[in-house]
Amino acid sequence: MITPIEAGLLVFIVATAVMTALLRDVLAAIIVFGGYSLGMAILWIVLQAPDVGLTEAAVGAGVMTVLFLATIARTTRLTGLEATTVDVNLPAAALCVVFVLAVLTTVPALPAVGAGPGENPAFGEISEYYVEEAYDDTHVENVVTAVLVAYRGFDTFGEATVVFAAGVGVLAVLRRGVFE
Amino acid sequence: MSSRRPYVESPVIMATVRLVAPFVLTYGIFVTLHGASSPGGGFQGGVIAAAVIIMLSFAYGIDLTWEWIDKRVLVGLVGGGVALFGAIALGAVLFGGQFLEVGVYPIPEPDKYGIELVEVGIGMTVAGVVTSLFFTLARGAMPPVGEDGESGRDDEGTAATDGGTFSSEAPGSEETGGDGPVRDGPDAPEGGDRA
Repeated sequence: MITPIEAGLLVFIVATAVMTALLRDVLAAIIVFGGYSLGMAILWIVLQAPDVGLTEAAVGAGVMTVLFLATIARTTRLTGLEATTVDVNLPAAALCVVFVLAVLTTVPALPAVGAGPGENPAFGEISEYYVEEAYDDTHVENVVTAVLVAYRGFDTFGEATVVFAAGVGVLAVLRRGVFE
Repeated sequence: MSSRRPYVESPVIMATVRLVAPFVLTYGIFVTLHGASSPGGGFQGGVIAAAVIIMLSFAYGIDLTWEWIDKRVLVGLVGGGVALFGAIALGAVLFGGQFLEVGVYPIPEPDKYGIELVEVGIGMTVAGVVTSLFFTLARGAMPPVGEDGESGRDDEGTAATDGGTFSSEAPGSEETGGDGPVRDGPDAPEGGDRA
């Protein structure tokens, strides 16, 4: 069942997410978004996914916030908007609420967090297989790394290439050479 | 640019960054190399290592840190990481395995160390790309205060003295020399109104 820590984190995450969308001041929105990422990182760790939590903390809360700050430093930022919110389009907001409620009705159909293979139709035997066989197959204690590099090495090679290509692409689009 | 509030180099931030940076870099390398036995890996470790450079930019100025960085190292990291990953993957074919079958290398525990080397390659690329992205976006956003003609602040003398004391191994120490190491920095937006 959901613990008080998880419930508090979920409330914090939803509140910061809504505030990010509503705040008119860009700087305030970025700071709240950083808080949202931090909440997500802690939630991942509470849900025993430290690899994802570490990524969320480093990329989401850290680097993304810095990149956003650098972006508004290079553009203009309207001042005097502290703590004001954007004008909410009520029909659109109502539609969002309806959509969220519709999605929430599907939640009870999901398996509980940490459910065993029998109760978890989404993953079933394959996650058990990785947990049981990964060490014998790869001699790597961290199953996440074993799946990432050994079982799905080709995917990871593609990911590294995507990061490389994205970096090169951004440099090309912004037309700022490294050796300027 | 003249509307930007200049960032005065803060001895507190500089001292904190100098103290913390080696540990953060060590942690980034640890997360990369120890990804096989504990949470983490190349993606996370690379970002943490790049965060060290971003921290240095916060403390010593973005443009000065960019001048201090050897761009060939940056390009080498970005390209070399992918090349290392590819070389390890292809090298397995030389030893009679298949593409990416790192277990065939004639070294002790080839699976484990092959995976670690792959993580190092990922970490190199990620660190290089994150650093490049940061400087591509942030470079020139906060020019040294001299270009704005806004010098002669009261705390400049203090900052210059502290900068001189700190800067023996500091990045961009050559540049911090004479005329008051007063720069814009990421703190500037928090400073409040710059209408």
